[in-house]
Amino acid sequence: MKILAVTACPTGIAHTYMAAEALEEAAKKKGYDIKVETRGSVGVENELSDAEIKEADAIILACDTAVPMERFEGKKLLNVSVSEAIKNADDLIDRALNAKVYKSSTKTQEDISKTEPMKKEPTGVYKHLMNGVSYMIPFVVAGGIAIAISFLFGYDSASNEGSLAAYLMAIGGGNGAFGLMIPVLAGYIAYSIADRPGLAPGMIGGMVATQINAGFLGGLVAGFLAGYIVLAIKKYIKLPKNLQGIMPVLIIPVLSSLSTGLLLFYVIGKPVAAINNGMNNFLMSMSGANAIILGAILGLMMAVDMGGPINKAAYAFGTATLTAAVGTGSEIMAAVMAAGMTPPLGIALATILFKNKFTKAEIEAGKACWVLGASFITEGAIPFAAADPIRVIPSLMIGSAITGAMSMAFKATLAVPHGGIFVFFAVENLVGYIISIAVGTVVTALVLGVFKKNVAELAAQSK
Amino acid sequence: MLINERLIVLDSQSRDRDELIRELASLAYKDGKLNDIDEYIEAVLKRESEYSTAVGFGVAIPHGKSDSVVEPFLAFARAKDIDWNSPDDKPVDIVFLIGVPEKDAGSLHLKILANLSRKLMKEDFRNSLRNIKTNEDLLDFLNKSELGF
Repeated sequence: MKILAVTACPTGIAHTYMAAEALEEAAKKKGYDIKVETRGSVGVENELSDAEIKEADAIILACDTAVPMERFEGKKLLNVSVSEAIKNADDLIDRALNAKVYKSSTKTQEDISKTEPMKKEPTGVYKHLMNGVSYMIPFVVAGGIAIAISFLFGYDSASNEGSLAAYLMAIGGGNGAFGLMIPVLAGYIAYSIADRPGLAPGMIGGMVATQINAGFLGGLVAGFLAGYIVLAIKKYIKLPKNLQGIMPVLIIPVLSSLSTGLLLFYVIGKPVAAINNGMNNFLMSMSGANAIILGAILGLMMAVDMGGPINKAAYAFGTATLTAAVGTGSEIMAAVMAAGMTPPLGIALATILFKNKFTKAEIEAGKACWVLGASFITEGAIPFAAADPIRVIPSLMIGSAITGAMSMAFKATLAVPHGGIFVFFAVENLVGYIISIAVGTVVTALVLGVFKKNVAELAAQSK
Repeated sequence: MLINERLIVLDSQSRDRDELIRELASLAYKDGKLNDIDEYIEAVLKRESEYSTAVGFGVAIPHGKSDSVVEPFLAFARAKDIDWNSPDDKPVDIVFLIGVPEKDAGSLHLKILANLSRKLMKEDFRNSLRNIKTNEDLLDFLNKSELGF
């Protein structure tokens, strides 16, 4: 491996050279070739030649000042602060080899340092989101598949205590993997923002978001809240030196968790409950309305927050119509389930059709989404929605609305509250029902293809 | 010769940054390296106020360019933990003070600083600075360390 690096600091006295030394030592230890250009007070030393840049496998910029960037066009480039290189040179080399390719069309180093001179590393909402999502995906997949297998024994066999189906549901469901999903999302968003101290308040905040039924959107709020609260505590609370030891073990965890949790309960909790209530009332008032419009509305609601207050209202409305219609099955329940199946299915299809719009991890998770969608486990779509809510959620809503409306138009009915394709035996007008789901799936995928940006662009934008 | 045994303190009792800088500067003044100690200290503190010269690992490299410097010098102190607003939040116990005449456009001292900074990344080097017992041995060690002077 051949690594190149540039180090520079505002005064150019010490850190430039310390960082250079640290990087050289770290590369030597790994057996890699390295050359470090130092831009210090002595001037530019060891300047990188174009030929060297051409041959290099990766470039590390450890600079707190502007340096010429055009020469690195098309190379893997990692941009960090000088102090990072002094502290974690070892780590930086690995990160550089996996770094994104630099394009000068994006903001230049000059722009960044002009606007944010003291900023250590390019941060960005996208980076934090992706960190949270990447840790969440395995929980969604493991939990979703466990639940799907449980459905194989019959959609309600999990209610038999002590049965394998019940255990599978316990592993995958709200007391198992799915219960951890949102805390993990929130925890690792906060971790990305505030490092290790962010994890505890983030996960606790995610748990609170679950308790107040705020869904994954509440989880996102909890993660960002916790992360920035930890940063603020570190910045503004200064203890006398002899007490500094209790900052990381006592002050930060307690203060950040309490403030995140209480903010969620008091500020987010009430509106969430109000939304849920309002939606319930709204649906009640819709009972006599045009069936197709109602189907579309239910579809929108199922996809907007997947497990949040709006989704829960739509689902509860569906199951309520079920009790009213014993034996005959309910059109509304059918529409609700169909609309809850298309988000993961549409995403699964999109990851096949538009590979450049998804990260590698997302493409892998997309395969599991087929199973999750088919099992009416809408949560399968959450990692995708959480990573890019503004583009993904509307796409999912459009597809689900169409499916909901079509299912109503076909007058399909469903006699049970859950189970996806495993309960298709309980569906009346199954052909129309399957067509509704298929159309919604394709529409979701196509709209995703239009709305979502290429992964490379998105990462560059967040810089 | 940038440094000599009269510019080395192995057991400084200074309690804070400014006191330590003054202690080292007065050594340089007594040794004839400075003709106006207050003006020099002012230059060092002004530099310090722009950006702490603590570099982490318990080390700080305060420095000042001033007409009050008669000839370039390097002074060394080993101190009790001093708060120096270090990037790694650790107190400083090793201090190199550097003085350079304003008119000295040459980059000799900057080269020395660069070399010194690189050496400071090595734990062995820092351990030696912390453990050497006498001024002469320390001087000897610095001279052998290929800092470029």
